[in-house]
Amino acid sequence: MTDATRLELSRALVVAGLILYVPANIMPVMIMTVAGEVAPLTVMGGVQELYDSGLAPVAAVVFVASIMIPFLKLIGLSWLMLMHGSDQLPRERTTLLRVLHQIGTWSMIDIFLLGVLVAVGQLGILASVEAQAGGLFFAAVLLCSLFAADLYQPRMIWQLASP
Amino acid sequence: MIVTKALPPQFPCSLCGANIHDRALKPGEELRCGRCGETLRRLHHRDPSHVIWALATTGLILWVLANVYPILTFDVAGNKQSNLIITGVLGLITQGFWPVALLVFFCSIAAPALHLGSLWYVAGACCTGRRFPMVQRVAHLANEIAPWSLVPVFLIACFVAVVKLDMLGTVYWDNGIIWVSLLSVCSMALAQRVDRQWIGNRLKELV
Repeated sequence: MTDATRLELSRALVVAGLILYVPANIMPVMIMTVAGEVAPLTVMGGVQELYDSGLAPVAAVVFVASIMIPFLKLIGLSWLMLMHGSDQLPRERTTLLRVLHQIGTWSMIDIFLLGVLVAVGQLGILASVEAQAGGLFFAAVLLCSLFAADLYQPRMIWQLASP
Repeated sequence: MIVTKALPPQFPCSLCGANIHDRALKPGEELRCGRCGETLRRLHHRDPSHVIWALATTGLILWVLANVYPILTFDVAGNKQSNLIITGVLGLITQGFWPVALLVFFCSIAAPALHLGSLWYVAGACCTGRRFPMVQRVAHLANEIAPWSLVPVFLIACFVAVVKLDMLGTVYWDNGIIWVSLLSVCSMALAQRVDRQWIGNRLKELV
């Protein structure tokens, strides 16, 4: 794959990720039914629920992993894409790209959480967990940002900046 | 570009092309590019392939245990449901969310196995000093699959799930969580030990 193709694909994936980020956060990820109570939960709703039950540290972990990291990753990648070809701050951009590459995987917490809850939420009317479309969008955002960060390589930052 | 043989005294950085002056390293030291910060050469205290092989073997055993023992049990009014890693995948498929199911399956079951397996093979070749069939390709697979092996993230998700379920009913841990935890520790230790450039160069030296 040529670098031009990599750049183009990476840009497209970042834009797609930013668009998908909206439904991923608005639409419910799952519907939990426990003892007759039906509760559709968005990603933020899940965080809110944890916070309200006095579990602020757990709420913070989920908030950082599933809301902040995907957003920061997409914003960071957008900035890198806009800066492509410029000779400003190449070292900082290289570090940023490495960091974004590392932290992205933690957003998978929400997808795994959905998996575990669906697995044990098979008790019929007593307790059931049903996955919803929000989960699909959320997974799509993660994949877009993951592939985008993978396609845009550190050496591409240095191509025009090298003497 | 970590080599066991001597490098030329000056060479271009593999990332940014800056001119690098090589120097003698003490064990544990790294040579980094002064402009972009890329690690170019590292002198290990000892051959890292034995440790990698041992960790990968341990990891493969733990992977089997983590997949055959239930992780947690949820209990609502005497009705119990326990889960294996695969139960969530099957549940998601039943509900029609196969893309999400595929992602969970790949990142928590398939990728860890492929990652451990390929490292086991590659480290085995480095240890014995023999060129195993297709070892270069397997090493490439290990590099490509590494970011997808997400057992530690799965472990955190299990903890969050328990916290959430605790609000709704009785939930307790099963033996599987021990194996998932140990597998996480093992895969994080491996991630720290694996020096791709060293392995790449070691493989080129094998006959």
